[in-house]
Amino acid sequence: MSDFFNTYGSLIVFMVLNALLALSLYLPLMAGQLSLASPGFFALGGYIAAIMSTKVFHVEAGAYPLGYVLIEMLLAALASGVLALIVGIPSLRLRGIYLALATIAFIEIVRVLSLTLEITGGAVGIFGIPQPFGTPLGYLWLALPLLIVAALAIWRLERVRVGRAFNAIRADELAAGAMGINTTYHKVLAFTLGAILAGIVGVVYAHVLNTWNARQGTFEAGVAYLTYVLIGGSRTVVGPIVGGLALTALPEVLRSLGGESLPTWLNNFLNSGQSIIYGTLIVLSTTFFPQGLITPRLLRFWRRTRASNDQ
Amino acid sequence: MSNDHPLLSIRSITRRFGGLVAVDGVSFDVRPGEIFGLIGPNGAGKTTLFNVITGLIPPSSGELTFADVAITRRAPFRIARRGIGRTFQNIRLFSDLSALENVQIAQHIHERSSTLAQVLGLPSARRDDRRTRARAMELLELVGLAGRASEIAGNFAYGDQRRLEIARALALEPQLLLLDEPAAGMNSSEKHELSAFIRQLRDQFDLTVLLIEHHVPLVMGLCDRIAVLEFGKLIALGDPASVRNDPAVIQAYLGDE
Repeated sequence: MSDFFNTYGSLIVFMVLNALLALSLYLPLMAGQLSLASPGFFALGGYIAAIMSTKVFHVEAGAYPLGYVLIEMLLAALASGVLALIVGIPSLRLRGIYLALATIAFIEIVRVLSLTLEITGGAVGIFGIPQPFGTPLGYLWLALPLLIVAALAIWRLERVRVGRAFNAIRADELAAGAMGINTTYHKVLAFTLGAILAGIVGVVYAHVLNTWNARQGTFEAGVAYLTYVLIGGSRTVVGPIVGGLALTALPEVLRSLGGESLPTWLNNFLNSGQSIIYGTLIVLSTTFFPQGLITPRLLRFWRRTRASNDQ
Repeated sequence: MSNDHPLLSIRSITRRFGGLVAVDGVSFDVRPGEIFGLIGPNGAGKTTLFNVITGLIPPSSGELTFADVAITRRAPFRIARRGIGRTFQNIRLFSDLSALENVQIAQHIHERSSTLAQVLGLPSARRDDRRTRARAMELLELVGLAGRASEIAGNFAYGDQRRLEIARALALEPQLLLLDEPAAGMNSSEKHELSAFIRQLRDQFDLTVLLIEHHVPLVMGLCDRIAVLEFGKLIALGDPASVRNDPAVIQAYLGDE
């Protein structure tokens, strides 16, 4: 058992963190806003962690104090929230594909800035980000509570006024306005909550990776998060979590399927055909499961079967 | 408020779409408590005027006053919160949500507990939730859909969707209810029931009703006053008898006799 955790410790942490990133994309999607901005805020959070831990807080020896990480998370949440308001208020006037394009432009701006600015270390990035934990698996102490709190909060949010307003805007923005819902406020709120979550996850990610540079939080990463949501399910909070966990583990699972007995081309495919498999999964799932694999209907069905089994 | 004092006052409202003048300098008042009919041939600008009143499209010129407050160019949600509820000609329910959720959404503005209290499920939030749910069920019962509260709105038959839209608009607790062709697609006995129902709503909720309708007998029998639009212009205004006998109306709308 401990062998398993030693081998797969960092994979488990990445699974949880990617599930959180999927949630950061799911939040604006709840209000019908297709935003790919999460990687930009994720990158910002990572840089805040990298700069604070290497340049501001000087820890000479021993493990990096967890309290500092929490301060970084708080700062990243604040910075992401403020930036999300600045970016979101003008860009959320755009709809559908135009909003997606504007958010892609935003992550490109973040990327180019981090490549050119001195404080972000230019193309080289920032190295030697100190570790608060002795093993990769230790990060579960941060990542898992974060996932549980985020999931519970979103699950509750969907069942109250604000969540109902999000649903209404997703279903028919014009009718939502005519029913007294401040559509701009709610769209900006959903976008900002997603941004804050992405920024916080960036902090944890930077510590796990030990280094941070402009290759983090790119457009490709945004597409990967979108894949988690689309395949897992875009209509319930469980969907993005399952998508993030499963699709992060998928490459490792495929790799472990390979071996001496298989032909070389198949081994190569299992090792590095991840993009092909993701692409195929997106096409198949959006064609046959437009709401993703985990749908509200499926959850209701489970609940009913469980209730009838209990009787 | 005396009976002559208008609830909604429409002053020289004009709306152009490019070269087309959809609504052309229309002025009239809607008095509190009346059922006011807006009729006219297809393309006369009736729905455009509704959209201007509810803020979905801004007027090119003119002023709107509702309950003594200027509402010209206000955002739709602000106008709705002031007390104007509406239905849509081409039904716009939240079609992938349940009937109950549709009605609960419109009660949005009447929930008092904070979002944080609601997310944490505090007692004040739970009381709020019970109250809005009970209220939504009452409204569904009123339109005869209480037994189908958890069904998805998009699966309802056309007539049921229209009734659900009325329940949703009532959840706003409006002073003024705008109904855009509420009888569309109904047979004559259903239209009869609808007339009685609209009167019942007016009395029960102390409403003022402004409605667009094509079916002339229904409008004549139901409305206290009627305005007639043709090519965006107001060509007649008055009680059903005077409008029915107005030569311009007979010419434009009812056909030559």
